[in-house]
Amino acid sequence: MTDSNDSNEQLKTDSVVPETESIGPLYDDSPESMNRRDLLRALAALGFASATGGIAWGLLEATMPQGVVQDWRKSVCRYCGTGCGILVGMNKEGVAEVRGDPEAHNAGKLCIKGSLLPLLNKAPGRLKFPMIRKDGKLVRASWEKAMKLVTSKFRRAIDQYGPNSVAYYGSGQLFTEETYTANKLFKAGIGTNNVDGNPRLCMASAAVGYTKTFGKDEPAGCYEDIDHAEVFFIIGANPAECHQPLFERIKARKLVYPKATIICVDPRRTLTAERSDLHLAPRPGSDLLLLWAIVHAIVEGKLFDEKFVRDHVAFQGADGRVGWEGLRTFLDDYTPEKVQGRVGIPAAQIRDVASRFADSQATMSLWTMGLNQRVDGVALNTTMNALHLITGQINKKGATPLSLTGQANACGGVRDTGSLAHLLPHGRLVKNAEHRAEMERLWGVPPGRIQPAPGLDAVHLFQAMGRGEVKCVLNMCSNPGQSLPNLGAYAQGMERSFFVVADAFEDTRSIHYADVVLPAALWIEKEGVFGQSERRYQLVEKLLQPPGEARADLDILVDLAERLGLGNVISAKTSAAVWNEYRELSSHSKYNFSGMTRARLREHRGLQWPCPDEQHPGTARRYIPGDPFVPAGKEHYFYGKPDGRAVVHLIPYESRAEDPDEEYPLILNTGRILEQWHTGTMTDRIAPIRNGTPRGHFEMHRYDAHQLGIGDGNEVEVQSRYGKLTGICKVTTSPLVGTLFASFYDAEFPINVLVTDKHDPISKQPDFKTTAVSVRKLG
Amino acid sequence: MSMATLVSIMGSAFVLLLLIGIYLITRHPAKRWEHLPPVSLGVTTLSAAAFYKITALVSFTVLPVAMVNVGTYRLFEGAKEVQACASCHVMQPMVTDLYDQSSTTLAARHVQNGWISKRPCYRCHSGYGFSGTLAAKLEGYRHLVRYTTGTYEEPIASRALFDQSSCLNCHERTQAFAAVSSHRIGITLIKKNELSCLNCHGLAHPTRSDRTPDSRRYKELMEPDTTMKTNALIAPATKETTL
Repeated sequence: MTDSNDSNEQLKTDSVVPETESIGPLYDDSPESMNRRDLLRALAALGFASATGGIAWGLLEATMPQGVVQDWRKSVCRYCGTGCGILVGMNKEGVAEVRGDPEAHNAGKLCIKGSLLPLLNKAPGRLKFPMIRKDGKLVRASWEKAMKLVTSKFRRAIDQYGPNSVAYYGSGQLFTEETYTANKLFKAGIGTNNVDGNPRLCMASAAVGYTKTFGKDEPAGCYEDIDHAEVFFIIGANPAECHQPLFERIKARKLVYPKATIICVDPRRTLTAERSDLHLAPRPGSDLLLLWAIVHAIVEGKLFDEKFVRDHVAFQGADGRVGWEGLRTFLDDYTPEKVQGRVGIPAAQIRDVASRFADSQATMSLWTMGLNQRVDGVALNTTMNALHLITGQINKKGATPLSLTGQANACGGVRDTGSLAHLLPHGRLVKNAEHRAEMERLWGVPPGRIQPAPGLDAVHLFQAMGRGEVKCVLNMCSNPGQSLPNLGAYAQGMERSFFVVADAFEDTRSIHYADVVLPAALWIEKEGVFGQSERRYQLVEKLLQPPGEARADLDILVDLAERLGLGNVISAKTSAAVWNEYRELSSHSKYNFSGMTRARLREHRGLQWPCPDEQHPGTARRYIPGDPFVPAGKEHYFYGKPDGRAVVHLIPYESRAEDPDEEYPLILNTGRILEQWHTGTMTDRIAPIRNGTPRGHFEMHRYDAHQLGIGDGNEVEVQSRYGKLTGICKVTTSPLVGTLFASFYDAEFPINVLVTDKHDPISKQPDFKTTAVSVRKLG
Repeated sequence: MSMATLVSIMGSAFVLLLLIGIYLITRHPAKRWEHLPPVSLGVTTLSAAAFYKITALVSFTVLPVAMVNVGTYRLFEGAKEVQACASCHVMQPMVTDLYDQSSTTLAARHVQNGWISKRPCYRCHSGYGFSGTLAAKLEGYRHLVRYTTGTYEEPIASRALFDQSSCLNCHERTQAFAAVSSHRIGITLIKKNELSCLNCHGLAHPTRSDRTPDSRRYKELMEPDTTMKTNALIAPATKETTL
């Protein structure tokens, strides 16, 4: 046996003395030794290489920067009615980051407000304990004490003055389960229809408009129509700021379909107007004239869809049904030539818009507060729907009249649950005896429990409070102390009544008037369903604990019900239980979403109703095949109306809005800005937003500013018939000459003290858009 | 100094040394190879010693060194190309989308509008300077190991944090960026990568659901229309602009 040293020696010798014969035997004699050695070496080398590679891989996996998020959870944005799907990035400290959910309808897009949601729940000024007003000051109290006081006050008022001496004032921001429970507690438990809330200020006219036209509230179309539209008719809306992810979707449509045209109708040169192909700026209050003139041009230019009108449309005049000729006669007053002076838009341009609107592959209209918050809000809404019916720009992909909403759950939570003074769930009406009887039966309360007369709507509720007729009010998740019009007059109502405020934040303007303050959980500190503008219901799961002793609004309502001895009426006591009750209830209506189980909502990025069974995918577009209520074989069917025909309401223009005069020569228009939301209760506490947006101020066109000798940044005093407010005036070119603009997010700049409380006679929605004012430079 | 310049300087130096070596070999042939016949190369005739030494030099030194260098260069530079990323089939949907003219993703818009037409994957997914390059290479190595070991699932999702300085490097100093109030409000968080640019500007690539096998779009994303690809590839290369 030759050892390895020898073999090496031998090899060395070999190279020098090639003649040697010993090479062969050497290999033959010790094959194992050589092979094992080589094998071990090779294995060692391989092992080393793998280990190095593996360790490097492991190190990379371990040290790779992954950001601050440990767990991503599906949820829904807290703010507007777009209802963006979001992913909440959680870590030990709470919400670390929020991303747009790529799989949701918003395709990953949010706005800056949604992006800064991680700062919301930890924003300063959260309410942590109940408080009771003693000697003019709010002092901390226990839940027991606070609820006892609330119950006794409500009990005494009901016993002494009847159920209509109490009221609930709610919000389009509570979860559906919460608003549904409040509605049931007050209407079927206490027995008062005094159930209203901030959605009255927001979309009452849109709800009435849809119902008058189609017999059913809520839009026929959906957001996905944006991806198919050729013409976008945006009127009285500023989606580039107020529904930004939807405007981004419109821009995306233009990217892939450059022929798409955006027409913006707004008296202000908004961001939306700047990014539109065509901007029409009508004089404030005149746009019903404009819409009827567009209809006139469509009829005159034979741009209507004759077959669609003949088969699916009816016309309603002041005295009942009329025919096509009735429409033509009605339109005689609205020739483009007749209206152009008042509207401020030339007849030729009106005809241009009419042809663009009617003669396109698919036209989609989008509107919001500019049409809803108006003394003729209902007429504007029905006329918008009429434009689509007459041109047949409806019931096909990309063609639809879509009213956008302002709050996360105004549609699902308030309109659909029927939580307004004149409504009952799922499109039923208080004044309809059959509807009342049906709801009493479904709710299992004695016949006659639901009062036959509608309750008090927002404006009249606060008036009644001021007169001392309504003694106790439970206000939840709303800030009427800043959001009501003619604020000075209504503050009195809040002063005079026993005013209970449940809110997440201290020191709101409404809390100044509160007798009892109840700390409420906010957004993902509780669980529930939000329903946004396109009939999509989405689940918000609980991801955080509420601070201090704060409780979910649902728990507060259930507690109040039990203390009032109405625990049997409010038998569902958890969010999931309420949902199941409410879901079952829907199966008795054309809203049917009984297929939307909690489990499905947990899994899906929301579902659109109708959704009648658990296998149903939901309904993107109503009144056409695919909608479970459209009978087979019918191409279009407006089942909300007995004859299946949608109705064009011939509502004439009446000059009810405030007009400028010598004393009040300018028109004040109010609205939102991109970064702040509503009364700023939430957004104005988020430091980057607060620091990055100007304080409340007036905006005036430089032409008017020059006339009045006002320079940019001057302090001015603005006076209306309702109040007076001083503030900084910015001089720009964005408001139309003769108008003034201001937003309502700044609690220190309560613009609504100036705003008229004139309201639409049908929807009772106040007009926040046209108040005559005078402006005086100070100093 | 760019990697390309460095490689070309080193390559030139190497070729120079090689030429010197060949010259020395031909001038100083060793005695003990004299019994072997000279080798004719057609243009010239070399002594056996010179020929075998040159052969040895080329085989044992020149070729290996050149291969290592060229290989490394190809690896490091080649990995910046879209094709390198596309060589793993799970990346195909992103690549298809880059050149899909009906796509509105940020990646597609940046490529097709000519904002970033060359090496778009690398341009966005690597940080600034040497450390950025290194981090990108290490991340690429991690992806490679995942791919070759099969430790991934479709649809893939990058766990790594996307460094938004890639966005800000081009956009931050522009007037268009400064004019947007949301940028002023969010900039601190944007720089900390805690507020995603995608939140307002939309998806960078096709969604995970579209990239899931058997989904509606999976096939079209995995097997792109090749004619569309070339058209788009040619067009933007000429219009690249700097923002």
